[in-house]
Amino acid sequence: MSERVAIIAANGGLFDGYKVFNIATAAAASEKEVQIFFTFEGLNLIHKQGMHHLEMPEGKEHFAEGFKKANVPSIPELVEMAQELGVKFIACQMTMDVMGLSKDDFIEGIEVGGAVTFLEYAKDASPTLTF
Amino acid sequence: MIQVNMQLDAKGLACPMPVVKTKKAITDLEEGQVVEVQATDKGSKADLAAWASSVGHQYLGTVEVDDVLYHYIRKGSNEPEVKETFDQTVSLHEIESRNGLILDVRESAEYAFGHIDGAKSIPMGELESRLEELDREQEIYVICRTGNRSDLAAQLLAKNGFTRVFNVLPGMNEWNGKIKKEI
Repeated sequence: MSERVAIIAANGGLFDGYKVFNIATAAAASEKEVQIFFTFEGLNLIHKQGMHHLEMPEGKEHFAEGFKKANVPSIPELVEMAQELGVKFIACQMTMDVMGLSKDDFIEGIEVGGAVTFLEYAKDASPTLTF
Repeated sequence: MIQVNMQLDAKGLACPMPVVKTKKAITDLEEGQVVEVQATDKGSKADLAAWASSVGHQYLGTVEVDDVLYHYIRKGSNEPEVKETFDQTVSLHEIESRNGLILDVRESAEYAFGHIDGAKSIPMGELESRLEELDREQEIYVICRTGNRSDLAAQLLAKNGFTRVFNVLPGMNEWNGKIKKEI
């Protein structure tokens, strides 16, 4: 079994954030090496301000209450926990260039890389997940 | 109540928090010790069992009381190394037809989730201080999960003057007979 999990985060909504960070923290807690490649809207999930205001999909806003009731941790909390557990965050350079973002727009501790950086890491990973 | 080395309160927390908290807490335990994880997340039962097997801990079982799940996990699944094995042994199926005492030296949580009916529980770590509970005239069959801890326990008993001591091989992990639970 591979000890490495690779995740591509390509979407930037609240649900996407939970999918990405729940799997990532669970994998890290199971002593896997975990790397997330944030690309396009996925960059939202680690954007200093953006991560605090992730939106629900249109028409699903009523789930807000359910999140509260289930005592689900917030996205910033999950991000902090993921980093504490050693999950590595890679922001996609090309998307940052397109969107006019720099490394300072993102939370501390991330790395910037390109598609090859991710592919190199993912070639020995199982599973590789895309959200 | 099941005796444990540590209790962890993960009540009210949603996935993946019970697993994350357990992972952090278990680092403070020594190999072979048992943690009780209290959770209300219904998914935590399947999750913790899968997590334990994936990282090499021993998931013992879960008890549900008033909507709270109490999960029991023993750190590590390695048994202690035995340098010189104890020479008086008895096989698992033989003990059923003999009249001595079955002495189960696993942790009390392991015992609680399944032991041979009539077996007496004294965890390995408490054995030395509880010798007076045992009858020196009686045959004693020492059992654990795989036969390693019980080997060390048998040696300890022999050192303390017990002569009618036998290590049961293999251990409870190969036992197919009836099981009693005390939970």
